[in-house]
Amino acid sequence: MKIEELRVGDELLYSGEFLIMRDAAQKRLKQMVEERKELPVSLDGAIIFYAGPAKPTKDSFGAIGPTTSSRMDSFLEMLFMKGVLATVGKGKRSKQAVSLCKEYGRVYFLAPSGAAAALAGRISDMTTLAFEDLGTEAIFKVHVKDFPLYVAIDSLGNDVFINE
Amino acid sequence: MISAERIIRSLEEAISKANTEMDPKIVELLDLYDGPFSGVLRENAAVAKESGLPICQDTGFLEFFVFQGNEVALEEPIIETLNSAVKKVYTDSPFRYSIVSDPLFNRENTGDNTPVICHLFPMRGDKLEIRFLVKGGGSENLSRLFMLNPSATVDELVRTVVESLRESAARGCPPLKVGIGIGGSSDKAMVLAKLALTRSFEERHQNKDYAALEERILREINGLKIGYQGLGTGITAYSVHIETYPTHIATMPVGLATDCYIARKGRVIFED
Repeated sequence: MKIEELRVGDELLYSGEFLIMRDAAQKRLKQMVEERKELPVSLDGAIIFYAGPAKPTKDSFGAIGPTTSSRMDSFLEMLFMKGVLATVGKGKRSKQAVSLCKEYGRVYFLAPSGAAAALAGRISDMTTLAFEDLGTEAIFKVHVKDFPLYVAIDSLGNDVFINE
Repeated sequence: MISAERIIRSLEEAISKANTEMDPKIVELLDLYDGPFSGVLRENAAVAKESGLPICQDTGFLEFFVFQGNEVALEEPIIETLNSAVKKVYTDSPFRYSIVSDPLFNRENTGDNTPVICHLFPMRGDKLEIRFLVKGGGSENLSRLFMLNPSATVDELVRTVVESLRESAARGCPPLKVGIGIGGSSDKAMVLAKLALTRSFEERHQNKDYAALEERILREINGLKIGYQGLGTGITAYSVHIETYPTHIATMPVGLATDCYIARKGRVIFED
């Protein structure tokens, strides 16, 4: 997958790795960056999935799906500066987030929201990388297979959400 | 006396069902949707029902509306029973714990999805009716309170609601169910907006003017063409529900609350 070749409206099935993190973990990472501490995970080349998994069952990874990305717009530049290639979430983002995608040449994907049971079957091998005390808000690494994505902001700064 | 155990048993079933089975009307409309992610959304409805996994990973907070008749005797304060029911369902099921104990300083997860939120409505009679919403955080963040001028026109009210949703609806997992509380005080209007979401899609306001207003606001919201997943295809809202209450001569509070496309709710009724 070449990030710079993707365009708004493209739909794809992605197989590979995601780092899962959301509000609380990113707030902590930002604080560590400000205090010039070493981060507990490398974000270089990562695709960040904004999500908080539910509980696994004996047959399944457990329900998972995207949470609202715009809540984490204020952390986006930090992620890009640390080498994050793309983010995955739901809903439209701020103009500032769109500008950052253009400036850094990165993309923002939508994952289907409210499809958690179906997505559970496309995820495997979850490991907790950091901040285990945050429960569902910790940082996890997962493998995904044929995971449905939709390009909402491309690296040219095109944005699918026109209802500004 | 209605025993706590009896209430817990009924609620357990109803809350599990709300999290794993989509309302037939929603499934019917989803079948008509042909756009981004339509396949995986349909697959999801089937997988959740079959596997017991939740339809959405955000299994929400539980908001209860308790209508308690004055002849009803309970074993313990109702909120304790509601907390026990939710704790049991969420710890027994593959549902996420989404509640933190302190909102600002120490956002530590409580580990069992409690406490619940409980609104009490004292009634006459021997019935206990409990309605609930399973409320996800995404749609909850679309909630708004507007303190309009008492002289505000119907058009102003409609514009206020529709413009708010124009800005926010895409973040709330549309199509939305929209609840509007008009009147009372600021807090009452918000509770009414939430109470409105406990109604079924078809249930119109008993007053024909408000019923017509529900239809009009729904048409205007659908005119925004925000669509499923916020991507412009299909309907933007299922229904609009208004609840009203008398208000002060100087005020016109308008509360706005929304539910996401799975609009999870339930209702159980007991007789003492």
